[in-house]
Amino acid sequence: MTAAATGIERARQGPPLLQLSGRRRQRRFRQYLPAYLLIAPAILATLVFQYIPIAFSGYWSFTEFNGLISPKWVGLANYTALLSDPKFVKSFFNTVLFVVMGMGIGPPLGLASAFLLNNTVRFRAFFRAAYFLPVMTSLVVVATIWKILLNDAGIINQILRFFALPAHAWLSDTTTALPAVTVTSIWQGFGFETVVFLAALQAISRDYYDAAAVDGANWWQRLRYVTLPALRPTIMFIYIIGIIGSFQVFDQVYVMTLGGPINSTRTIVFDLYDRFRTLQLGEASAVAYVLLAILATLSYVQIRVFERR
Amino acid sequence: MSEPAPTLTSRSADLAERSLARKRQRPTRRLSRLVVYALLIVTSILMLGPFYWMLATSFKPAADVFASPPKLIPNPWTLENYRFVFHNLPFTRYFFNSVVVTGSIVGLNVVFGTAAAYAFAKLRFPGRNALFFLLLVTLMVPFQVNLIPLFRMMVILHDVNSHLGVDSYSALILPGMIQVFGIFLMRQFLQSIPDEVLESARVDGASEFRILRSIVFPVAAPGMATLAIFTFLGAWNDFLWPLIVISDDAHKTLPLGLASLQARNTINWGNTMAGTALTAAPLILVFIVLQRRFIEGLAAGAVKG
Repeated sequence: MTAAATGIERARQGPPLLQLSGRRRQRRFRQYLPAYLLIAPAILATLVFQYIPIAFSGYWSFTEFNGLISPKWVGLANYTALLSDPKFVKSFFNTVLFVVMGMGIGPPLGLASAFLLNNTVRFRAFFRAAYFLPVMTSLVVVATIWKILLNDAGIINQILRFFALPAHAWLSDTTTALPAVTVTSIWQGFGFETVVFLAALQAISRDYYDAAAVDGANWWQRLRYVTLPALRPTIMFIYIIGIIGSFQVFDQVYVMTLGGPINSTRTIVFDLYDRFRTLQLGEASAVAYVLLAILATLSYVQIRVFERR
Repeated sequence: MSEPAPTLTSRSADLAERSLARKRQRPTRRLSRLVVYALLIVTSILMLGPFYWMLATSFKPAADVFASPPKLIPNPWTLENYRFVFHNLPFTRYFFNSVVVTGSIVGLNVVFGTAAAYAFAKLRFPGRNALFFLLLVTLMVPFQVNLIPLFRMMVILHDVNSHLGVDSYSALILPGMIQVFGIFLMRQFLQSIPDEVLESARVDGASEFRILRSIVFPVAAPGMATLAIFTFLGAWNDFLWPLIVISDDAHKTLPLGLASLQARNTINWGNTMAGTALTAAPLILVFIVLQRRFIEGLAAGAVKG
């Protein structure tokens, strides 16, 4: 470290015009050495903990592999097996349904509450913090709390009974288990969406609204022609990271239902975990690569969106 | 109310117009303010209620957990659930493990992430763009893709040295020690440091490491705080990876410990809620103290990243 540092100082002191070409190359190297040293840990960690695993799981996805005997090449067999495996197909559609329900309801709710908070309200900091609390909380905690709320004898059913509405076995009914997991996830992400939308709303200049008011624009026109266009990048951001995150749903499912009842809450990552647990490492790797294909496409869109900003 | 046509273009007329427009909104405002507060309060109850229910249930004797009508306030109340959890599970150990693992990950990311980000943002060297691209590409790869190979890596590491690999801190820390997202975030942040400041420090004979320590780190402190918050939340709440590599109680983190309590004990929800409250408590306390920092940090990170 010190050698590199003094190297740079010496290089800077010497008049560049008088350097010999052999020494110049050495000087060049010494000049760049600090930069390479600064990035070396990051590059090394990324190669070891990202590139090597990516390569291996790619390779294993084309093999029959249980972790005990060395992998045997089977070509695309794992991928075709997945397509005809009802468990995987079910996981895929459950995940898509989870994403659609969650993203259909969550961000609009967050936007609505951001609008509420964007009024001149007292205790805004309190409301914001209250909504944000679940965002900070581990999903395992959130899911455990909701598991007791949704219990057959739990408070939600008791409230429903109080209003003479039918109680329901939310988590043990195949038709309501996935929506129940989705509601839990929406509840957890709501505060994040609120806070991000609120920050975006507050960044919109007052002048636009004043100008719109002068032009006689009503609230709908102000929303349609001032607010929403200004929020467009934020809405894109929330949806892209929301969709990417939702495709990876696992913790809630693990805690609340373990994929059941009858695979009705089995998701892509839960399917991967289940195959890992039962030592179907080849198929599990293929699941991982299917997920990669979906998410890489979405991330590519995300990066393009940010480059434009 | 007919709209007066804006015929005058002078500034004073414009201002008068604006105040007129504001006045017109007033009567509806009073009612709408009431609705706004009502909605905000109902939402607060929906967001805080589950936490309250967790806490209330954790102080209830087993018979009262699902009492009908529900007991909003535990009566009689008991500490039995907490006693059970502390007696049967090493919760303090889980907490300690979470602190060690999260602390290491946050520290490593802040130091090495900022260092790399500084080089990528402010230094010129051959291969800079290619190497940055090499890092950036991995942002598109979900962690689950690396899961199984990383697990096997940790198994091998454990075979080489039984203090490393699976069922050790190293397994929990190593894969997340330098996250590309952090480098990306910090690079955006550091690009705002003017080159002249760095250049004048170099003229004064400061080395790049000296510059990093005495200029970049202080200036980038808010960015590093954001990075620390992001990595802190990610590491503290991580579940899937610990679930895969940790099977012994001695190295379980809080979420993992809670999940095993929850799976082991589906009969007495009072016990489970006591464990849940203990798992949630440290972060809630940190949040209460630093809530503005956290919310604004995350919002800023979200907008920047």
